[in-house]
Amino acid sequence: MKRHFVLIALLLFPLLTLAQQDASISGYISDAETGETLISANFAIANSSKGTSSNTSGYYTLTDIEPGTYTVVATYIGYQRYEKQIELTPGENLRLDIKLKPEGYQLDEVVVTSKKEQDEKRDIGLAQVETEFIKKVPTAFQADVFRSLQLLPGVKAASDFSSGLYIRGGSPDQTLILLDRTTVYNPSHFFGFFSTFNPDAVKDVRLYKGGYPAKYGGRLGSVLTIFNKDGNRNEFKGTVSLGLLASRAMVEGPFKNGSYMFAVRRSTLEPVLAVLRKNVDNIPNSFYFLDINGKVNYDLNANNKLSLAFYSGIDDLSFPFANDANISLNYGNQTLSTNWTHIFSDKLFSNFTLTGSRYFNYPSFNVASTPFERSNNIYDFSLKGDFEYLPNNSHEVSTGFWTGVMTLKLQDTFDEQDTFSSRIHTQYGSWYLQDKWNLSEQWSMTPGIRLNAFSEGNYLRVEPRFSLEYKPTDRIRLQAAYGRYNQFLTLISNEAFSGFDVWLTTDNGVPPSYGDQYVLGAKTIPWKGYGLDFEIYYRSMEDLFELDPFLPDQAGLPYQDIFRFGKGYAYGAELFFERRVGQLTGFMGYTFSLTRRKYPNFNEPLAANGQPRFYPPKYDRIHDLNVVLEYKIDKRWSATASFNYSTGQAYTKPLGRTAAFDFPTSGNPLNQLIVGRVNASRLPDYHRLDLSFSRTGTFFDLGEAEWQLQLINAYSRRNVWFYNYDLEKNPAQRKEVTLLPILPTITYSIDF
Amino acid sequence: MKKLSLLFFAIILLSGCALYEQDSYQENYVVESYLVAGDELPKVRLSTTSPISKKYKFEDNTVSNANVEVRRLTPDSSVAETYAYLEQESGIYKPQNSITVQDHQLYGLHITTDKGDEITATTFVPGNFKTVNELQEEYMYQGSQQIEVITTPSQYLTNRQAYYIFTVNAVNPDTASLTPFYMDQVLNGDSEIEDFYINSSGIINEKNYDRNENNNIQLTVPWLAIAFYDTNNVVANAIDNNMYDFLRSQDVQTGGSTLSPGEIQNINYNISGGIGIFGSMASDTNQVVISKPDQSNGS
Repeated sequence: MKRHFVLIALLLFPLLTLAQQDASISGYISDAETGETLISANFAIANSSKGTSSNTSGYYTLTDIEPGTYTVVATYIGYQRYEKQIELTPGENLRLDIKLKPEGYQLDEVVVTSKKEQDEKRDIGLAQVETEFIKKVPTAFQADVFRSLQLLPGVKAASDFSSGLYIRGGSPDQTLILLDRTTVYNPSHFFGFFSTFNPDAVKDVRLYKGGYPAKYGGRLGSVLTIFNKDGNRNEFKGTVSLGLLASRAMVEGPFKNGSYMFAVRRSTLEPVLAVLRKNVDNIPNSFYFLDINGKVNYDLNANNKLSLAFYSGIDDLSFPFANDANISLNYGNQTLSTNWTHIFSDKLFSNFTLTGSRYFNYPSFNVASTPFERSNNIYDFSLKGDFEYLPNNSHEVSTGFWTGVMTLKLQDTFDEQDTFSSRIHTQYGSWYLQDKWNLSEQWSMTPGIRLNAFSEGNYLRVEPRFSLEYKPTDRIRLQAAYGRYNQFLTLISNEAFSGFDVWLTTDNGVPPSYGDQYVLGAKTIPWKGYGLDFEIYYRSMEDLFELDPFLPDQAGLPYQDIFRFGKGYAYGAELFFERRVGQLTGFMGYTFSLTRRKYPNFNEPLAANGQPRFYPPKYDRIHDLNVVLEYKIDKRWSATASFNYSTGQAYTKPLGRTAAFDFPTSGNPLNQLIVGRVNASRLPDYHRLDLSFSRTGTFFDLGEAEWQLQLINAYSRRNVWFYNYDLEKNPAQRKEVTLLPILPTITYSIDF
Repeated sequence: MKKLSLLFFAIILLSGCALYEQDSYQENYVVESYLVAGDELPKVRLSTTSPISKKYKFEDNTVSNANVEVRRLTPDSSVAETYAYLEQESGIYKPQNSITVQDHQLYGLHITTDKGDEITATTFVPGNFKTVNELQEEYMYQGSQQIEVITTPSQYLTNRQAYYIFTVNAVNPDTASLTPFYMDQVLNGDSEIEDFYINSSGIINEKNYDRNENNNIQLTVPWLAIAFYDTNNVVANAIDNNMYDFLRSQDVQTGGSTLSPGEIQNINYNISGGIGIFGSMASDTNQVVISKPDQSNGS
């Protein structure tokens, strides 16, 4: 508790500082062509150490500037450098909205002259993925946000079939996913194959892999924030992309004092299914997924901006998988967020968001006239307020709240009789305070504190956060972070299939999971245009609660009895090296990591009184290497290659077998496997090379066009997903279940 | 600084290689026996496990010359009666005398092998129950009238709810009498016809069913449970903790859970000195005839 008082004292210190008579500059930084605000763009005074970055609304403030004449610069990767001479009078609060002109995605040389902009993107634990990168990097069937994130060190995929994010030893439910500040509960299509985020609609993707700041909470591991485009504020524009699996279209444009953006993506599998249906049995009657994104912005005046963003996505399947048997799936997400950005003064910026998020899932089976139906809904409505206060150049104080109500409803019926019914209605609230305190040119620290309250079970949790940075030279930043994190939700899912996802919450007897994260990092710029980052982390996970996988039926059990409670830890080291200049650009990411879990009555030796042991989850990989390279052949052609090598995933090797021959409720012997330590063996190492070739051109002079040919798993490595042991064979036969073979895809995109 | 980083990295690498190695195979004794309330004491199978790479056959793994006893125990686990067993076939032991299993009673299994190893287990036999409603002699498959069974509740040792498994056992199964869904499974080669001779519901908690005003439980047999037309026995079974633990963990081994594929856990055996199952249950059987829809329409 003493530690908490120290933190609060540190946080309140800047509020006690006296006001100065110095001047300040503030405003929005945006793209000159589209009007899109730019997040984390750099603003600085030339030939001085004064600088700052734009926030998630694209707004910046620089205070404590002595009156005088200065040259100010603004930079952002991929944009021309902005330079302007200004004169500041005593006490003046200059409003300077800046429009940066784009230079195209890849630059022949880096024009960023202020290290501040690079610094901001490379905060500890933070990774940012450019939208253009998402579209360029080869991915199966569809450009995908999550698949692109999986190339980063510390982020893993469970398999080729899963877009779920396994970050620093955490399962997908340990990552908070926010779309335009609204929680998304099931961000997957195609039963988990790829994510719901349409790259045409996305403006900004950033992932806090660990040690994330007090502004965020509610998950043990990580935070992924995604902002959709605001829409072009200067002219009407659009994009159409035709692909083998799905096609996309996006339009954006201005209106008086505002802009809009609408994007739609839909699967286009129907023709393929129709052909298959003529020749192959058991093809779905219908299957599609659909996304619609939209955003409307309206500027009331220079200090007040409103926006309304929505997303609606659905997957729908009807599949007669056998005679007299049909499965139907219908699931998706809907989000709505209304945002009001208000600038109180040059030193106080605020943002208020009203969010609504719905997840629905209605799977049903009908086998031999016996229906099974599930109705699974989450409704989450919340109000958020974030304030940024800059009393002087030494302190950037942030505070805010997030309060809401959430309802989780789950209803199962079997043969038209209710078999399980649950309705959880909970209120939640949180408040945070943090201060980025620039102690000197070299040192800065960010203490923070977050309070979380959750009504289901009446839990109140305090989370201290702290980060420290030391810059011994302009090109080296040494960083450290610590944080305590709590999680009040758990996801019931399966890495192979996310179509039945169910979320459950804490309650009496089901305390929230919690854990500590420790991160150390070094961010360096070894040469101009290169980056070399290194991070190590350790994290603990306590009171992990998940649905007991050994419960065949939950009916009649007390809520706490349907869970198993465990613990875990993870640690690792990540190396990231990137080249951002020249014809050949790209990065190499290497991760060494180790993850362990332990649950009661699990992974115990067969001997009497055996105690449970820690075990690696399947997705644990000791070594993981990703190399992504892009080569610009000429103005029209470019090639991208992505190579991944990783240690084989963990699996349990059966040691022995036996059978129960007389089990009264079975007509066949019940085979039994005898195993040792769970997941103590490793599948063969995984490696895969993906290639992409792009050619740009024009489409009848109406706009720019691009052909993109991709080859996933170019040398058709048959990576193993898992082994299946067929005990009907004697001796037992091990069969490999393999991942994706070689897979060519082609996409044609038109920008008009 | 460079050296320090390298040292740190090396430490991490080494600690990451902390041994988590696969155990080696060890042979275990395997027992199997099921007490059914009201039936005679069952046989006991005694064998050993086999390495996964070897052919497995019960007859090749039997354990002979063991001293096998089943004991009826008092609530404080002291022995009330002991029933001696004799080995009738290799690894198969049968009671010397014909003894009826009592419901709501604690029983123990005590085995001493000729090597002196001891294997023990206990089971509490669930309370007997019976069907209280009259069933029709014949039901039309997927007709408007489903089979409804009303039973008295089964009691267990503690206050835990009863765990049921309902099975439909075909009396004269053949391929021609398979219902359409199961016919499809067999003809497609996805399953063998033998897989459906006893069609099981899996474990169902008592709390899935409402009790009527007489405190009885009403079960509607889903059409999915009917794999064969013609005569079927509809059996309701209330199972003990051992059968419950065994079956639910065996189901997980065969892939029916949220565990990742390939993440296999041992079955939950409540046996000391070995593995296997010493389980018990109470059951009640009703016989019905399932007619094909066209036949019933024509009759």
